[in-house]
Amino acid sequence: MNKFVIADPEKCIGCYTCEAGCVNVHQKVGLVAYPRLTITRTSEGTMPVQCRNCDDAPCEKVCPVKAITFEDNSVQLSESLCIGCKMCSLACPFGVITPCGTKPDGEGLISDGAYAMPVETMPDEASLHPLLAWTIGERTVAVKCDLCHFQPEGPECIRVCPTKAMYMVNGETMTESNAEKRARSVAEVFASDILDHYTRD
Amino acid sequence: MSDVMTICPYCGTGCSMRLFVEGNQIIEIDADPTHPVSEGELCLKGLYGFKHVADPGRLTTPLMRRGDDFVAVSWDVALDTIAQKLNAIKRESGPDAFALFASARATNEENFISQKFARAVMGTNNVDHCARLCHAPTTVGLAMTLGNGAMTNSIPELGDVSDVIFIIGSNTAECHPLIAKHVLKAKERGAKLIVADPRMTDMANKADLWLRIPLGYDIPLINAMLHVIIKEKLHAADFIRDHTTGFDDVARAVEDYSPESVSKMTGVPAADIISAARIYATAKAAASLYAMGVTQFSCGTGNVVSIANLAVVAGQIGRPGAGVCPLRGQSNVQGACDLGALPNVFPGGKPVTSEPDRIWFEQAWGVPLPRAVGLKVTEVPEAMMSGKVRALFIDGENPMMSDPNTKHFGEALEKLDLLVVADLFMTETARRADIVLPAAGWGEKDGTFTNTERRVQRVRPAVEPPGEAKPDWWIFKNLADRMGYAGMAYEKPQDIWDELRRVVPALYAGMTYDRLDHMHGLAWPCPSEDHPGTSVLHQGGHFGTPSGKAMLKAVLFHPIAVPEEQRKAFESPIIGHISERPDADYPFMLTTGRRVYHYHTGTMTRKAPLLEQLGPEELIELNPLDAKALAIGEGDYIKVSTRRGAVIAKAWVTERVPPHVVFGTFHYWEASCNEETNADVLDPLSGIPEYKISAAMVTKSSPAEAKANVAAKRDYYRKDVEKAVTATMHAQSGAVS
Repeated sequence: MNKFVIADPEKCIGCYTCEAGCVNVHQKVGLVAYPRLTITRTSEGTMPVQCRNCDDAPCEKVCPVKAITFEDNSVQLSESLCIGCKMCSLACPFGVITPCGTKPDGEGLISDGAYAMPVETMPDEASLHPLLAWTIGERTVAVKCDLCHFQPEGPECIRVCPTKAMYMVNGETMTESNAEKRARSVAEVFASDILDHYTRD
Repeated sequence: MSDVMTICPYCGTGCSMRLFVEGNQIIEIDADPTHPVSEGELCLKGLYGFKHVADPGRLTTPLMRRGDDFVAVSWDVALDTIAQKLNAIKRESGPDAFALFASARATNEENFISQKFARAVMGTNNVDHCARLCHAPTTVGLAMTLGNGAMTNSIPELGDVSDVIFIIGSNTAECHPLIAKHVLKAKERGAKLIVADPRMTDMANKADLWLRIPLGYDIPLINAMLHVIIKEKLHAADFIRDHTTGFDDVARAVEDYSPESVSKMTGVPAADIISAARIYATAKAAASLYAMGVTQFSCGTGNVVSIANLAVVAGQIGRPGAGVCPLRGQSNVQGACDLGALPNVFPGGKPVTSEPDRIWFEQAWGVPLPRAVGLKVTEVPEAMMSGKVRALFIDGENPMMSDPNTKHFGEALEKLDLLVVADLFMTETARRADIVLPAAGWGEKDGTFTNTERRVQRVRPAVEPPGEAKPDWWIFKNLADRMGYAGMAYEKPQDIWDELRRVVPALYAGMTYDRLDHMHGLAWPCPSEDHPGTSVLHQGGHFGTPSGKAMLKAVLFHPIAVPEEQRKAFESPIIGHISERPDADYPFMLTTGRRVYHYHTGTMTRKAPLLEQLGPEELIELNPLDAKALAIGEGDYIKVSTRRGAVIAKAWVTERVPPHVVFGTFHYWEASCNEETNADVLDPLSGIPEYKISAAMVTKSSPAEAKANVAAKRDYYRKDVEKAVTATMHAQSGAVS
């Protein structure tokens, strides 16, 4: 099964450190500087939402140029091959594929002219493909969680989350947690039987 | 690549961090797994909020105003001019014509020297800093009741010991994320979390019990909790008998605040108030956490005293995990208060009006010292308007955005004969100065910070300051030398620290730099070099008041005015009311605060690209019911006006705010809600303004109006001056390198 990152809403305090960390590492390797997970606030709670790496991924199905592929138990999107058709974004049931291009400098209504964000130009060796050496005003491509496959320490959001609310789910952890839940549910049945026995009279 | 351990420059949590340095630039920051508070974690401001240090807009030379422009001058010219003008103003108008705003982001050493400069060199107690605008009610209210205006416990105790945490008026998740982590740690252990807040913050969402009180109704809520505790005999009767005074007054005062009547007043179910009271009072160790949602009211001190009353009456104080925890918002605001950057106290909280304390400092500093209490930050604008204060020295603050009713503050600045600003950048305030001094900042300076739990920790330089920027202590020392005062022969921050250890031995004598260097700080009081520091204050019911007992005080509240006969029933009760209530013209209430990704007026965080990307503009929280009534959609521009000003920003339609309440920040000059806040009504005891409630009007705006508004603000905040000066600095630094 595919692996994916998910957050425990009990532990998430909505501090955006995951988003900042995400932008930081992707920018460093020459990928689009946009957070691949989005802190989502509701009246019930807060947590970041990101790609579930579906095993039968609709985004992979609709991509006309095979920019989205299954690799290493995950769904990967090549920002070099993407033509920006946005079909994956429409097909995604979780809303976690974002068509993204960097806005031209100073175009935002409330942008501060004196302190517009500095243009970060990437060193050549850092970018994954020369076509992708993005600058401000670059074309739109689809952006999604890639599980930080480029760094050995794994997803940066898990590393930087100050409350350790994020964790990776894969076949192994899923098997373990399901076994634990089965054991617990059986124990609960017996515990209630025992409890009933002692409280009957 | 080298690395340097230091303390985060942002909130008062005091997280430890490692700076990685290459070629005089900080390139990355990592957390410190051995630190007892941050435990190997940092929030996004700590991790990514360091780019301001190497920003090309840093000030690199002293500047003097010539007409509308600023010209670069040498340090000699700048300091000679300031010294000469200050001497002249002192001669003509007396020492009290000078006022100084110290800085909660400067080190302890720098706060010590800046207040000493005001007192010993200028001869005035007109020294204060932004604590006046945040936790002044804490320093006053907790000192009055418990005898110490500081957090009574350490942060790790929350995670390790407390079994009930009561958060009132603190958005801990956003404003102190690493303290929120300790709250979650407590919850995982099974501790109960009670949150009282009008806003549905992430802490409210995680609470076992959320009391959604209306803005400003902290006193009736706590009085109702006390009512239940006393009625159900859950109070700590023996503790009260042995260690307190004033209990009968409090018991009598809370009689009128039954859960049912307070429920009627606040809309909070009586059953919730009752269960909050029971959970809190029957805890093994309950900690109350609070911040600006308690203090920034015209009855801020009353709110704080209520929290102290509750803790003492329930016996939830003086033990590990049980106490009163004001969460302070700046890296060294605790230190700035402790070291006397306040108009009424010398370092160590010694009153300026106390003869023996004054004599002690006169002997230490070799000059007669002023006897009268000085002006508070919030009293200075009027004093400038009337010509009483002619010279103002602002050390690393940006009151043109952080003070209430900024328009009025700006008008007052124009009346000055001399405005000196020392800062890292050409801030909104610096643009109005006569002389601007380039200061070295965090990451460039040696010294200590005191975090919110009284832990004094070393901060260390990692890089050289740009150009001719100098640390604040160097500025004050050299100014003092020029003005003929010989008592500042310091060569390094440690010399200042050692003087502090001598003059305030009860708190600091045991804290040598060597000890601080080899451990994660020490919490005051630490009177001797073999003392381990004090993580829990008031142990065994020994309070810091003159009598050694906690002094409980009756606190009364009525939204409009407490009836005369009710006041007369008590000896000097503390009275609370709401000074600006909604009316037909201004039917909403504006409340203000911070967001997690920015910090205060944004002088530092808005220069961090990652933070600015996440929070590029102001968002005003607006309840969906109001949005519907006003036909406002998510992201539409809205105009929020009060009697003092207006901002235009995008609406964030969310249930985080209750109906008829809007929430905004002061992070963005484009839409700074402090243009709207009320500076006229101050808490009579602490002088804090009522930032948290302004009657407001909300109307739909448009992108065109928003654009025009930004252009107007650009003129108002003199962005062109910033741009011109920044360009000059850039050109100069290019020429040097």
